[in-house]
Amino acid sequence: MSIIDLKGLLVPLGALKQIAKEPHTIKYPDQTKEISERYRGFHYNDLDLCIGCGNCSTICMNEAIDMVEVEDIEGKPGDSGLRPRIDYGRCCYCALCVDVCPSGSLSMTADFIKVSEDAFDFLMIPGKDNPGGKDKITFDASTDTSLNLFERVPMRELPPEERVQSFAEVFLGYTEEEARIEASRCITCGLCTENCPVHMHIPEYINAISRGDDEEAIRIIYDNNDLPEMCGKVCTRRCEDVCALQVRGEAVAIRWLKRYATERAENADMIRRIVNPEIREPNGIKVGIIGAGPAGLTAGYYLALKGYDITIYEAKSEPGGMIMYGIPKYRLPYDSIQKQVDYMKSIGVKIHFNTKVGKDISFDEIYNKHDAVFMGVGLQKGYTLGIEGEDAEGVWAAVDFLGLVNEGKRPDMGKRVVVVGGGDVSMDSSRVSRRLGAEVVQLYRRRIVDMPADDEEIEGALEEGVQIIEKAIPTRVIKDEKGRVKGMEYVRAELVPPEGGGRPRPVPIKGSETVIECDSIIAAIGQKADFGLLPEKVQNSLTFERGKIKVDDERRTGYPKLWAGGDAVKYGRVDAISAIADGFYAAESIDAYFMQVKA
Amino acid sequence: MTTQDIIRALNETFELKAEVLHGNQIRVSMHKKQVAPVLLYLKNQWGFIHLDHVSCVDWIEENVFELVYIVYRPQDQLTVLVKTKIHREHPEMENMEGFWPHMRTYQREIREMFGIEFPGFEAPREFILEGWEEIPPMRRDFDTRGYVKRTYTTRPGREDAWSVREYITRRTGEKLPDFARKYSRD
Repeated sequence: MSIIDLKGLLVPLGALKQIAKEPHTIKYPDQTKEISERYRGFHYNDLDLCIGCGNCSTICMNEAIDMVEVEDIEGKPGDSGLRPRIDYGRCCYCALCVDVCPSGSLSMTADFIKVSEDAFDFLMIPGKDNPGGKDKITFDASTDTSLNLFERVPMRELPPEERVQSFAEVFLGYTEEEARIEASRCITCGLCTENCPVHMHIPEYINAISRGDDEEAIRIIYDNNDLPEMCGKVCTRRCEDVCALQVRGEAVAIRWLKRYATERAENADMIRRIVNPEIREPNGIKVGIIGAGPAGLTAGYYLALKGYDITIYEAKSEPGGMIMYGIPKYRLPYDSIQKQVDYMKSIGVKIHFNTKVGKDISFDEIYNKHDAVFMGVGLQKGYTLGIEGEDAEGVWAAVDFLGLVNEGKRPDMGKRVVVVGGGDVSMDSSRVSRRLGAEVVQLYRRRIVDMPADDEEIEGALEEGVQIIEKAIPTRVIKDEKGRVKGMEYVRAELVPPEGGGRPRPVPIKGSETVIECDSIIAAIGQKADFGLLPEKVQNSLTFERGKIKVDDERRTGYPKLWAGGDAVKYGRVDAISAIADGFYAAESIDAYFMQVKA
Repeated sequence: MTTQDIIRALNETFELKAEVLHGNQIRVSMHKKQVAPVLLYLKNQWGFIHLDHVSCVDWIEENVFELVYIVYRPQDQLTVLVKTKIHREHPEMENMEGFWPHMRTYQREIREMFGIEFPGFEAPREFILEGWEEIPPMRRDFDTRGYVKRTYTTRPGREDAWSVREYITRRTGEKLPDFARKYSRD
């Protein structure tokens, strides 16, 4: 070993090579530390995107999140109007709230410093109290990492080529396993209930299904819907339009889950045993109901539960009104309606069939025999096309055509049928015509996307080979020498946005006349009510609006002790669930009326 | 060294089926008795000198805990996830504090948070929790919300909170019967 330790002298000089490198430390406060890419600091909430479902608040095990009213935010269907507020004294920044946010509005930011002497400053409404957080989002609710299940369990169905061979039910229903999985997707927020006309207890019955308590689900369902199996198959399901999951994915299959639960009760006796409703002692008050459609049946059922003596007068030989005579059996089988009506009869609802009011019995007789009357007569007459030649043999109103087929008759429609319209009834007419062996061409004056029919129905019709011609306005029915339908002339239309905004209007394109040869034509452009059964003095005291009776919130008409509901009434939408809501609320109103009289 | 070399070696030496999780990460599951020899083998034979992490998952539906030991080879940034499942009733795992000094920290944490015992491990029992008298809190059957409700008071200023379900019900007039209420969210 030499006296001078050369190595010992030189090695430390090696550190000099670091001199030109950037240091790992920072100059505080001139520089701030870089935040990691997925940092979870204070929350940010896009207040416009947020739907106030409260899933964040529910998931938070620290109970750090409250749902509160926020200035300038109004609730509406699909938005509770509440927004999350976070207690940062409790938040542990785990971000589960972000992971379960169905709308994707909630995120976390790079901000994490807040200094205040006021403890209340640590209650913050993300988005409102930190609008700048928008530009500092580090951890978001991407659908890749979300814990929500955005895809629905598909419903099994018959293949299209098999469907058109018969009137067998198209949709096969969920199995138990499928129903449990689908039900478990629900976040039970309840936004859906607002868009349901009768405000069914949707989150509760879906939660019951997900827990395997099918009978409890049935009880909850029957609490304010007496025709749930029908709704489970053919409801217009506006509830699904506002489901929290449909913001970024597929809505929970609320309708199919209701169908699953109600089909567990296989017959009227089972429904009675499971629902086991409380029936009040008979109170001797008689209520007459005109029409055994959804509105009349519902009013009858809920009044019977309240102890009223109920008699329903029905013109046809079967109950159900439009759900029996209007909806094709491949969507809603006969037994399904019969089972629910048998259950209502077991509660004490009496129905006189083949009793047309105004013909077999007068309105006055019913009115005098009962203490109150509810009227749910529906829309019985189809609108006519209002074009030349429509008196030809082979031109049908959809409501008559569907009624005949539902009675079991099989009218000869020939080789080719033209259907006019774009609603559910037009889809039914087309698909029934396919089942009768005809080729079908459907004309609609706007585009397919504008059709008011359920997407599922449009899809079903296309799969079954229905040809839809968009932007086509019928102009003339062409007859042969015997006065039978030979063809249909139509013009193409262009959609012109009206001045002052609104829905584009179809305007005929000159010279675009085209003729389709056909053997039958079905007009499915809407129906109107027939109030011929009402005596003049009653008609005079009612208010009519666009051919419908006007009623108040409680479904009272302007005539004493006369309530009305269903399609023939100007209140809400025209569908079965709205009719059920009318019947339900009318029953409550009638009951409240007599309770007051008694008191 | 590649992921395939490690997969082959684990297969030839221990008859284990390892797989590439993604990129440079390898995942391999085994019986709990194999974990110690495999970790030592990876450390001493293959240069996985760094213990990156030890984690635990409560698979309550299967009645097991899953332990995941993550080791790392710095030269080529290879990672191996060594996984094993142990019974949830009286869970025990081999004490491996001698393999890496910081294994003690992980074992203390897992013992406290999941209640998994490491026979022969003499570190103090109390680690992060103080005076804990409940079941280990990271177990899935621990009622976190119930604990929070019992333990903490709500600060003033939060009285204006709404239940979303109630709020909508008030707007629509829906009458929710009691027998349905038990299925409501809140």
